[in-house]
Parts: sequence; structure tokens; C-alpha cells
Amino acid sequence: MNEATIDADATDRMLLQRMSTGDRVALATMYHSYHGRLCRFLSRLTRRTDVIEEVVNDCFWIVWQKAGEFRGDSRVSTWIMGIAYRCGLKTLRQHGDEPVEDDAIPEDRIPSSDPDEDRELRDWLSKGLDRLSADQRVVVELVYGVGHSLDDVATIMQCPVGTVKARLFHARVKLRNVLPSLAGESPVLKESVS
Amino acid sequence: MSYPMDTGQDCLRAWEAMPWVLQESATQEQSQWLDRHLVHCASCRAEFEQQNRLRLALSLPTEIHIDANAGLKRLMDRIDAPVREETPHRLRSGSWLTRGLVAAVMVQAIAIGALSMKFWSAGEAPAYRTLSEESAPVAAGSIRVVPDASMTLTDWNALLHSLRLQVVGGPNDMGAYTVAPANSTVTTQQALKQLRAARGIRLAEPIVGTP
Repeated sequence: MNEATIDADATDRMLLQRMSTGDRVALATMYHSYHGRLCRFLSRLTRRTDVIEEVVNDCFWIVWQKAGEFRGDSRVSTWIMGIAYRCGLKTLRQHGDEPVEDDAIPEDRIPSSDPDEDRELRDWLSKGLDRLSADQRVVVELVYGVGHSLDDVATIMQCPVGTVKARLFHARVKLRNVLPSLAGESPVLKESVS
Repeated sequence: MSYPMDTGQDCLRAWEAMPWVLQESATQEQSQWLDRHLVHCASCRAEFEQQNRLRLALSLPTEIHIDANAGLKRLMDRIDAPVREETPHRLRSGSWLTRGLVAAVMVQAIAIGALSMKFWSAGEAPAYRTLSEESAPVAAGSIRVVPDASMTLTDWNALLHSLRLQVVGGPNDMGAYTVAPANSTVTTQQALKQLRAARGIRLAEPIVGTP
């Protein structure tokens, strides 16, 4: 854990402690701090903005109520991501939803002001992630996007570390096969996964 | 699991180290080792570049735009909702009424408790007697006497004094006194006889026991 991560966690713990006393300013600060990363994380499960918004608020509703019960066994971010993940799965089950495909996303959800390079990168990523299962996408997002360790991801997804390792491995193998061709390149090496 | 490279242990080690080096959680030694490996391994170098691109793509702001302020407002409304439901005006009035009643009951309970403690600690005999209870003990040889209403107190006292009797109870509702010999030299029968013969005594009967 690097110094920035330690500082961020200390800040989060302080905010959580204030929230446990009913401090709404602390809640607002934490909400804004996590909103972007939670939306991005949840967008790996579903592209429906109404569902994502609902899950973010369900997550923070729980965080607000349980702030005083946080035992500190993990980083605050790990705890919050775990809540969001479980809320996301629950909400998707209730809605009976599967992740929405790219072609179902209205054009106005994609900002037209995106630099071309970013748009290309997004497109490349989106097509690559589409080849993965929801669990694999979540692991990739948590490791590469959020920067969590295998132990953190296991805590968030409430599964053994070995399962996380396997999901990450298979996700990387799949991406390794498809990403170069999506970028207009040939795969560097031939696939040899058994 | 088998690794997607037909290379040796070094490439395997590089494959496993890449995510953690990219997120800067790897040790310095691990990072330096990977750097050295990438210099002479084109395959791992390509993989690392792709992994880095993946990390960059995942770090881009989400393309799904949700208004955080609006979401926060809805959350605050949700937090406030139960509070409002629990404290509308009418319910709050009812709540005060309930609290008042509870307070009154509490005061009564405390008062009853205090009175109970007082009576219990005083240990006094109750001012009543149930039918199943034995009557108050009466001294042996006691006599129930009803003086005439016209008898003066002086005459009554003089009579008792002359007969060596003393009042041990009464008068009751009927105006009867219970008298008993002041000492053992006086027998009940003698006293009874003299009382019956005395002027101003309407009734003199020995108390032989309670039914």
C-alpha cells in the first residue's frame, strides 16, 4: 500500500467516523469522492444509468447506517466497494437484468467532447470487456481500474483469493487474444491456454 | 492454468508481476526485476504495453454520466424520510400525551412503593381485623362493663379504684369497657359480683373467650 493510499484511507476513516455521529457534510464529501469510481465500477455490471444511480444510493444508504459498525478490518474503499458490488448484484437480480450491450446505449450518453484518442481507447476497452464474463470484468476493473490487491478483491467479492486469481488470469488471457486485433494489430503470441 | 507464453519461468514471473507493478503496489525489487526482463523479452514487453493501455483505458472517466448532486439530494431525502414519517404533528402530540401518561403512572408507582415501604418499616398492626383472625388478646379475668350514661367519671373512677380494676379496652360503639383486675389479689368473680351490685352499672359480664 503506497503513501497516497494510506492517506486516502485515513481521510476515509475520519469521514466515516464523522458520519457515525450523523455528520451529513462528511457524507456529502464521501459521496462526491466515491461517486465517479462507483459509477465506473458499476458500469462493468450494467450500463443502465437508472440502475447505477439506484445502486450508488443503496450503497451509501448502507454506508450511512453502518458507518459506526465499520471494524477497520480492511480499507474503507474495499468495504464500500464490497457493499456496492453486493447491492449491484441484488439490484440486477431484482430487475432481472443482464448488462446492456453497446448498441443499446443512446448516443447522448457518450460525450461528444471526448478527445478522439480517449474515444478510441474507450471503444477498444469496451469491445474487449464485452468478451469477458461479469465477474471477470469486475475483477479487471478492481485491479486495473481501482488498484485493489487480490486480497481486497476477494473481500469485495466475498470469495477465495484463488477464485480471484483464476478470474483475473482468464480475463487477461481473453483480453490478450482480442485486444491487439481490436487495435488493428496482430496478436503477439499464439494462444496456448489449456 | 497454463500461461499464454511458450517461455520459461522468467516470463511466468513477469506475467504475474505486471498488474502489481502497474498499480505501483509491487516491491521495488519486483519492479526493477521486471524492467530488466522487459529489456530483452519482446513478448513480455508487448504484453506489458497492452496491460498499461488497459490500465489507462480503465482509468478514463466513465462515459456514463450521472449527476452526483442530484443523486446526493435523493439520498438526503431518503435519509430524512423515515424521520418525517415518525414525527408528524399529530403523532408528535400523541407522543407527548403518551409521555405524560407514562410519567403519571411512574409517579403513582413511586408513591405506592414509598407508602408500602413506610408501612412495612413501621410494622404496625392493621387497624382492621378479618373474621378468620383471632380477636386481640384479652387479659385473663377481664370483664366487659357497661356503665350507665348518667354515671359520672368521678363515680366510675372511684368504683374501679375500690374494686382494684383498671380499664384495658373500650369504650366500644356500645359504650362497653373492658376492665381487668389490677393485681392478682382480686378475683374475677368477686369483682363481677361487686360490679353487678354497684349503682350505675348496667351490665357486667366476664369475657370467657372469643367465638
